[in-house]
Amino acid sequence: MAKILIPTPLRQYCDKKDTVEVTGATVGEALNALTSAHAELKKHLYNDEGKLRSFVNVYLNDEDIRYIKKEATPLADTDTISIVPSIAGGR
Amino acid sequence: MIQIDSEAWQVMVSHAKSTYPNECCGAMLGTIDGDNKSVKVSVPIENAFTGVQHERYELRPEDLLKADREARSRSMDLIGIFHSHPDCDAYFSETDLKNSCPWYSFVVLSIYKGEFDHANSFLPNAEQTEAVKEELKY
Repeated sequence: MAKILIPTPLRQYCDKKDTVEVTGATVGEALNALTSAHAELKKHLYNDEGKLRSFVNVYLNDEDIRYIKKEATPLADTDTISIVPSIAGGR
Repeated sequence: MIQIDSEAWQVMVSHAKSTYPNECCGAMLGTIDGDNKSVKVSVPIENAFTGVQHERYELRPEDLLKADREARSRSMDLIGIFHSHPDCDAYFSETDLKNSCPWYSFVVLSIYKGEFDHANSFLPNAEQTEAVKEELKY
């Protein structure tokens, strides 16, 4: 099964786990499996239109899925998915 | 409340001063117990903003991923982000808010004329419309 690493503040919505194992042929399927098993998590990752929130980036191992096939990126059992926010700012 | 250990705090201030007059940024690693966050390690991260860095900062997600991996390897959590405001106060600006993430504490350090002046911590909401001040101890 592939692994999804859960950022610290979101662990409260998935039984305090730091890693969740999921099945899925694509990254999108794996994220669906995650939010189906832990429904509270969904609103933190997706907006009302069902799209990933603007500040949410998803990495497959070391690569941003936007530069592969986005949520259709194929997933292997040995893969690790990371959820990483976009952060910037200035005065 | 967020408490920053002395060594971690020195790293943050030193990074903010050494990058002056540009904005600096970095990650804060530590532990969380209920509403109490304790920063044990601060990790300076390169400001990736490609324009004028005196007024802007940007974190590369891959650098943040690296910081998160470091936290996990040290049995800690990634609990916050810090950045500096050169020659202005430590408020949470509109730009900070519009580019924030509700998952972390955001510590802003005010640096005037190259010297640390004061700091504040903020907790932005998911809609990026509001950030409440969080008690900060260092």
